[in-house]
Amino acid sequence: MPIPNLTIIGESINDSVPSTHKFFEANDIAGLKNLAIAQDVGGAGYIDVNVGSRTGEFLAEMVRQVQSVTAKPLAIDTPDPAMSEAGLRAYDSARAGGKMPILNSISELRMEMFELYRIMPFMPILLASERMENGAGQPNHTAEEVYQTALRMVRAAAKHGIPVDQCIIDPAISPIGADTDGRFHCLMGAIRLIHGDSELKGVHMSVGLSNFSVMIPPKRPDGSPSKSPLESAFLTMAVPMGMDFVIGSVKRKYQLLEPDHPAMVCLDDCLKLEGFDVIMRVQEYYTN
Amino acid sequence: MSTLSELAIAVEAGKRNDAKALTLGLLDDGMQPLDIVEQGLVPGMSAIGEKFKNNEVFVPEMLIAARAMKECMGILEPLLAQAGIKPKYTAVIGTVQGDLHDIGKNLVAMMLKGANFGIVDLGTNVPPEKFVAAIKEHDAHLVCLSALLTTTMPAMKSTVQAVREAGLTSVKIMVGGAPVTQDYSDEIGADGYSPDAASAVDLATKLADSI
Repeated sequence: MPIPNLTIIGESINDSVPSTHKFFEANDIAGLKNLAIAQDVGGAGYIDVNVGSRTGEFLAEMVRQVQSVTAKPLAIDTPDPAMSEAGLRAYDSARAGGKMPILNSISELRMEMFELYRIMPFMPILLASERMENGAGQPNHTAEEVYQTALRMVRAAAKHGIPVDQCIIDPAISPIGADTDGRFHCLMGAIRLIHGDSELKGVHMSVGLSNFSVMIPPKRPDGSPSKSPLESAFLTMAVPMGMDFVIGSVKRKYQLLEPDHPAMVCLDDCLKLEGFDVIMRVQEYYTN
Repeated sequence: MSTLSELAIAVEAGKRNDAKALTLGLLDDGMQPLDIVEQGLVPGMSAIGEKFKNNEVFVPEMLIAARAMKECMGILEPLLAQAGIKPKYTAVIGTVQGDLHDIGKNLVAMMLKGANFGIVDLGTNVPPEKFVAAIKEHDAHLVCLSALLTTTMPAMKSTVQAVREAGLTSVKIMVGGAPVTQDYSDEIGADGYSPDAASAVDLATKLADSI
């Protein structure tokens, strides 16, 4: 059963996905449009469009092409302000039933992207994993740093006329298979702080969920999948704390898990462990 | 008597306590620290790297093996330093200016250490001039550049240019990161591109050997 109130931003049209990269390299627009259709039919609420380091013109054309086969709104996915502008200008909100696009993403390292709101209103994904401090970009390593950045970003959005319930905070998820320095702890702590702040009431949250399981094998010894249960386990923990979007796959069939599911037990344990013990616990999950 | 092959197997399996005990045993037996590194630790890491490339093991296994090697190196490094022995090759590594991603860069650094490269890790958001200065200061054979954003790939290009313009003609430049491709590597004049941390070791070795 799908998770109630969880919107999936379909991740397939992304140049860094090897199978999709081949479509881009071959200029196979029909192949890319088929990915949009499959995700639309598969239950995606939004269709992500990430064309890698191609031109703004190309991104604009992809926006038009994808919208020609789906009435779902799009997530325009580029950290490049000029490309974002091209994508937003090409976006037809009427085609998406009046729904505004998502812009993925704005961070404190590229605040000028808020100016694009005047061209086309959007729901910004606010990347809270990095901050600007004394004129230099810094990575956030603690829950408090992520939360404080999220708060500043939402306040900055408000100054540009973007209400809190139109903002999507991305507290950034890291591969659990390489998590030797407490990143999962940091993430869950940040989600809790964001969810608990009344100033952020109504804000949305999202992560790029496939990144969570990217470094572990696809199957457990009994042939069952290893990745999607871990992703579902994360959602089982995070959805009650306000995680209502994910950039992910419609094929994964995310679901809420029972507390005794092996993936749930694994993540519960990970939150009690530190350092290498976290990845060794994950290893135990996928090798048993 | 502990053997080098036992040590290699312990490192590969990530059994750090066994690996440390075997290292100490080999030293007690009079084995030279450099031989322990080259014939015990490096083959262990090389074996895990091969399995990674064949999808037989995954990142957690590589990380756990690398920790075992690192702890053995903790025993051996003071002895190597005492004897004035340095790694054959030195690599400067960092994520380019404007980019704060570090996971991929850390994995490559770790695997290069596992192949007994001397590593100078400059961290993330590294400006071109800092790469140039580190290459000069450490007389590096290699420089490894990471970028995870399409918007920071141009910083990779400007770093390659800065290294070349500084007259550092013998240093080999490797690039990697999710949006980076072999085509891009060719376009900006880097010496090589690697899609993952285990292949990066092969590439680094090949490039360093070619100097």
